[in-house]
Amino acid sequence: MMQGSISNRIRTLRFMNGEMSQAELGQRIGLTRQTIAAIEAGKYSPSLEAAFRIAQVFNVSLGDVFQWDAKATPVKAS
Amino acid sequence: MSYREKIAWLSLIAMAVAYTPYFMFAARGPSPWEPFPHLHPLGLFALASIVRMLILGAGYLYLRLASPREDRMPPDERDRAIEHRSLSAAYYVLIAGMILVGCFMPFSSTGWTIVNAAILWMVAAEVVHHSVVVASYRLQASS
Repeated sequence: MMQGSISNRIRTLRFMNGEMSQAELGQRIGLTRQTIAAIEAGKYSPSLEAAFRIAQVFNVSLGDVFQWDAKATPVKAS
Repeated sequence: MSYREKIAWLSLIAMAVAYTPYFMFAARGPSPWEPFPHLHPLGLFALASIVRMLILGAGYLYLRLASPREDRMPPDERDRAIEHRSLSAAYYVLIAGMILVGCFMPFSSTGWTIVNAAILWMVAAEVVHHSVVVASYRLQASS
C-alpha cells in the first residue's frame, strides 16, 4: 500500500480569516470544536463532505486546505 | 476533554461502583437456609441497578450544568464513527458471552450462576463499549 499522510492548513486559514476560532469553524460546518482540533492536528481525517465544507468556509479549493504528502508516514489512524 | 468522553467516563465509573460489589456478593451465592433464596440475588441486582441509575442521573445533571453549550452539540461525524466502532466491539463481546452462557453453561451450571454470568457478560460488553469510546477520543485528542 502507498505510504503517505494528509496534512492541512486549517490553522493558517483560520488565522487569515480574522483568527476564526475552532468552535466558530465547527459551528459553521456542523462539527464539534474537538473534531476541528483533531482534524487540525492530523489525528482525524474528515469525510469528503466535511472537507469540502471547510474549504467553502474559507472560500478556497480543497487542495488549498488539504495536501497529500506521499513521503510522510501517517500521524495516527482515525 | 469532550462532552461525550466525559459521559463515557461517567458510565464506566457508574458500572464499576454499582457492579463490582454486586459480583463480589453474588460470588458467595445465596444462603441455603434463607426462606426465599431468589430474593437475595434479585434484591442485590435491583440495588446495583438503582445505584448505577443514581450515579448516572447525578453525573448527567452535573455535566449538563458544568459544560458549556457548545460542548453539548449533537454528535458529528467523528462522534458517530467512534460510537459505531465502540458498539461493534461491544457487540462481539456480548455475542461471545451469550454463546458461552446460552450454549455451554447449561451443561455445567444452573440457576443464578447462569443468570450472573449473563449479567457479567452484559456488563463486560458495556465496559468495552465505553472503554473504546474513551480510548478513541484520547487517541484523537489534539493535545
